[in-house]
Formats: sequence, C-alpha cells, structure tokens
Amino acid sequence: MKGIFTVLVENRDGVLSGISGLFARRGFNIDTLAVGETENHEISRMTITSTGDQRTIDQIEKQLNKSVDVIKVRRLSEAKSVCLEMLLAKVAYNAGNRTSLIELCQVMEAKVMKVTPKYMLVEYHSEPDNVDDFIHLIKGFGIIEIQRTGTIAMEK
Amino acid sequence: MTGAQAMIKCLQAEGIRKVFGYPGVAIAPFYEGLYNSDIEHVLVRQEQNAGHAASGYARLSRKPAVCVVTSGPGATNLITALATAYADSIPLVAISGQVSSELLGRDVFQEADMRGATKSFVKYCFLVKNPDDIPRVFKEAFYIASTGRKGPVLIDIPIDVQTRSLKKEFAYPDKIQIRGYKPEIRVNVAQVRKVVEAINEAKRPLICAGGGVILGNGEKIIREFCEKFNMPLVHTMMGMGVLPKKHPLNFGMLGNNGKPYANKAVSRADLLVIVGARIADRAIPKPENLLRRTVIHIDIDTAEIGKNMGPTVPLVGDVNDIFDILIKEEIRKSDPFWLEELEDIKKGTIDRRIFSDKNVNPNILVQKLSEKMDDDAIYVADVGQNQLWSADNYIMKEGRFLTTGGMGTMGYSIPAAIGAKMFAPDKQTVAVCGDGAFQMSMNELATMKVNNVDIRILIVRNGYLGLVREYQYNLYDGHYIGVKLNDWPRYDKIAEAYDLRYIECSSNEDLDSKLDEFLGSDKPCLMVCDVDFENRVK
Repeated sequence: MKGIFTVLVENRDGVLSGISGLFARRGFNIDTLAVGETENHEISRMTITSTGDQRTIDQIEKQLNKSVDVIKVRRLSEAKSVCLEMLLAKVAYNAGNRTSLIELCQVMEAKVMKVTPKYMLVEYHSEPDNVDDFIHLIKGFGIIEIQRTGTIAMEK
Repeated sequence: MTGAQAMIKCLQAEGIRKVFGYPGVAIAPFYEGLYNSDIEHVLVRQEQNAGHAASGYARLSRKPAVCVVTSGPGATNLITALATAYADSIPLVAISGQVSSELLGRDVFQEADMRGATKSFVKYCFLVKNPDDIPRVFKEAFYIASTGRKGPVLIDIPIDVQTRSLKKEFAYPDKIQIRGYKPEIRVNVAQVRKVVEAINEAKRPLICAGGGVILGNGEKIIREFCEKFNMPLVHTMMGMGVLPKKHPLNFGMLGNNGKPYANKAVSRADLLVIVGARIADRAIPKPENLLRRTVIHIDIDTAEIGKNMGPTVPLVGDVNDIFDILIKEEIRKSDPFWLEELEDIKKGTIDRRIFSDKNVNPNILVQKLSEKMDDDAIYVADVGQNQLWSADNYIMKEGRFLTTGGMGTMGYSIPAAIGAKMFAPDKQTVAVCGDGAFQMSMNELATMKVNNVDIRILIVRNGYLGLVREYQYNLYDGHYIGVKLNDWPRYDKIAEAYDLRYIECSSNEDLDSKLDEFLGSDKPCLMVCDVDFENRVK
C-alpha cells in the first residue's frame, strides 16, 4: 500500500539527514521526498511517500512521531488530499513530429519553456499518476533528460 | 562566563555530583571548569567504559548519569556504550568535545562527525554552535534522556564554544519547550476499559514484565497488582527483579534462554499482558505464534506497539500511571486452577541438560553465590554463557540484576559495577563475567582501585569464548575457530598487579568456603571459577 506523510519538522541542519537516516535504518522505502520552508522559517514541511504493508506504514508514522525534530506527522489519503508533482523534461523532436509534440503539450496543459533546434524543454505539473502518463507519452518522442520534484500534498 | 563554566553550572543545576570521563584537547576547557567545581571526575581507562560506568550509575540512581569524552577517537570509542544504553533505554547525558566550529567538516586532527555517527544510537544529539545555547541544550538533554522512553543523549560541543563567553547572563531554564517532543502521555481511559474487559474474560491470564517496568520504577505497583489479583508473572531478562525469584506468582524468565516452564506458561495462557517489553527475538522468537491469544501490550513508547507484533489491545503510557488505575478497577482474581496448572507445569519440567562433573558446575555456582549475597545486592552479569547461566540461576531477592540485554556488549560488567557501586556504596556489588569479557575491560581494575570502589569480580573461566564455541558446536559441527583463549593471562598475577585478593576455585566442594571468602573479603577481590568448557547453556 501507499503512504503519504506530510511532516512538519524543525528547519535546522541535520534534520533531513536524520529523517532519511531513520528510513534507511529501519528498511522503509522513500518513493518521493519534497522539502521546503513553511510560512514560518523555523519550520519546514516534508512530504514523503512510501510503499509498504500496513505494519510498515504504521511504523513509519510512529517512528517519525518519535523523532524529536519532528513537530507533527499527518498521514494523508489520496482521496482526501491534493497531491501534485512537477516535471521538467527535455523532449527531442524532428520536423515530422514537431506539431504532435506541441499538440500533446496543449492537450495536457504542459508548458513549453524553451525551444532549441533539437529539443523542447517542457514543464508539467499534475497528480503523480498523470505525471507518469505524461512521461509515458513523451517517451515516444525521445526523452533527453528528466527531473521530477517528488510529490507535495495537502489535505483538502 | 565561558561556555565551559556554563556547562558546569548546568550540571550542578541538574544535581550531578560525579562524571565519568577521559579528557583530551577538545574538551580541555570543560575540564578546567571541572577543576574549579565540586563535581567529582572519575577517570576511566577507556572511553567506552565511561559510558558503561555511567550506565551502571544511572540504573541505580534512576536518573541520567553523565560521561565526558574528547573529540575524534575519544568520541568514537564511546559509541558502543551509547548504543548499549540506547538498546536498554538507559538515561545518559554524554558530552563530547569537538574541534573548533570554524574547522568543522575539514577533517582536521581528531575530528569525527559525532552527530552523523551516533544518530541511530542516541535518543537525540545536539551540536552546540553558540555558547548562549548551552543552558537550553543541557536542560533539554536531561529532559529528553529522562522522560518518556529513556535513553542516551549526546551533546557535541566544539572547543571554541567552550572557551567563548556567553553574551547573555547565565540562566538555567526551568521550563522546557520542545515542539517535537511531548513525552507526557495521558492514559486513554477507553483503552483501560478494554484492558479490564479482556482480563476479566480471560481464564488464564499472564503478565510478562520487561525492563521497562524497572526503568519506569514500576516494580512495586506491578507486585501489588499481581498480589491483589493473584496474577502470575513471567519476565524477560531485563525484567529480572520485578518479583523475587521465590515469589509464588513468579514463573520465571521466558525466551530461548529462559525457563522452559515460563515458555510453557506463555503458550498455555489465553491472555498475555506485556508490560515494558519489546517482544524482541530472544524473548519471543516467533511473535506471530502469540496471536492465537489476546495480547495486551503496555508500553511508554507508542512505536513499540505493533513493531514486532500486532497486539489485540494496545495501551500507551507510564507503568505507574496505568497500573495505578488498573489496580483500582474491578478485576477478577485469577482462578486457583490456573495457578495450580502453572505450578504443575513448573514441577513437571525436568531439566535434561547434562553438566560436566569436572570443575565447578556453573548453575550451582550462580545459585550459591546469589543465595549468599545480601538481599539488596547488585549483580552485574556480563555477556556470554556466564550471562545466560546467571539469568537462569540467579536467585533474585530484593536487589538488582544488571546486564546488557539489548546490545549484548561484552565487557559491560566491570565498568557498570563500578558505576553502580559508586552510586550505592553500601550495597554489595558483584560483577560476573567470562574470561573473554573480563579481558575486554580488565583495564578498569585501575579505576576501581584508584577510587576505592569495593566490587567483587567473579570470572567464570573456561578458556574459551564459550557462547560462540557453543554456537560452532551446534551449527558448524564443532569447527572451533577463533574461540580459544589459550589459558592466558595469569589471573593471580593480574590480581597481584592491582592489589586485589585472589581466590581460585575448581571444584563444587570448595564453592561454599571460597564464595564465603569472596563475599566476606575485607578488600576488593578477584575470584576465578574454573568451569569445564564442555558445559553448554543448552
């Protein structure tokens, strides 16, 4: 099963390594991890997604709660929260498929940030599943480089 | 006021009278502070033992004890002791010197990244970068170490932070504000109801007490609870001492090194109340087998619940808070037939292990020794066959049985016994170790001697790393490798070197008189008991 955790932590050095170390030591997976300051610069918010059985997901929540640098942990359900991910991709094109790539970007509401003779740099953000689909679609053109942010999530 | 002076002030504010340590350049300013203070410094002979001695001290005082080391190798030497304390939830505050803050990360002389290195072995680690943070950091360190599930906390403090002056006036905070750490747990009344219902529905309830009961000062209330409701009890190795061995409701230590009748009691029980135990592999090798019965799991650490086994009824909180409520509830007394059944199981269990006629029988040794010891004596068992023979045969009265159950760190017994005795000088203290473990911390005989700490050390000598040898016997067809100690050193010479009384015993017949001499000696004493290496734990 999938676990989405939104974690408020102290915005201090060593905290990120502590949290990632906790996952490593106990053999928990980190599928995605996104970190950034909140409106209070002393506090950061992490969104961590993980997969594992029920016991593992429960343990992740408990072990995170136990960490002194963690202020609050919330487990989100996909249905009751907004989950977003952002993608940057350099997609190769040629004269023959140039129009279809632009059309695809229009349909998917992806933004073309830069065009060079060899590739377009495309920005896309959506729910993680849609990002997966989008990657699948642009694979046909040829992906030169790709960067995903990891999921950020918030309860509705 | 300098940072170092502030550190001393903080320790004084926490009521610390003694610290165990080993100095070096990076911690020198703090030592200068110690020189000018009334806090006593106990110089150990290797940093790891500063941690173990503090552990022994803390287990007796039931408050955090302090150890101090320098940066680099001094600090890394301490890590094993921190991991040992962490595994057994012993409250320590460890202070390590660090290279000057502007040099951090440059791999200068004696720099070790202690925060990174100890992350998974401490409850929390501070790296202090500003002298003005010292009062808050110390207050938080003592608070974190001693509350909730206890454990070691490390304060890593660069030398310049010790020498620089505080800009603000020193004030030791009396309040704690840690957003991410709220150890006070209010007992969930609805869960308590479920626990009471489950106990009342059970026909064969059994309490399983772990080290958490002792760490939470819960021996008294658990005993009252057992006696009031006629509730039988088994315990883990770390839970030894919750009830005296001869208490009619005590059915012994469970686990693969425990009493077979204790394990039978667990398998016969239809309700198990686990209190302050991790359900670790040595106590309960197959936790899934427990799920055929109702399991109530009581622990102060929420994360322990469901970590190794999903309980039927979890209850989180302090052992005294919880049992103060439970003892006032209407709980049905255990049926006499259940206690009779347990008695029958106990009587019907025959110990089929065969012990060698040669030399001293280790079972008889531990039985006789513990029988002869004072009622409130402290027994520190090391690690190896000696530990398992000790746990198996120790006749617990009203004293303490200290050992490292979680980490199993060889060499623990001597420094821990020194620490324990330093807190409780009036209590008879005996360290029991094998000839392997003894050689891991025999350097501390000097600490013992210099500080006039009168502990008794008993070496169970068989010339081998016995437990590993036993493992090689069982699993590798007796292909013994790396386990023979080759009859060295000459223990009589060691005793002479440290001016200890020396006693040797190599037969069961002599045990009584030799043990009397050992315990009755007017000065620290080293006793070697020869045990046939063919003797096994199982």
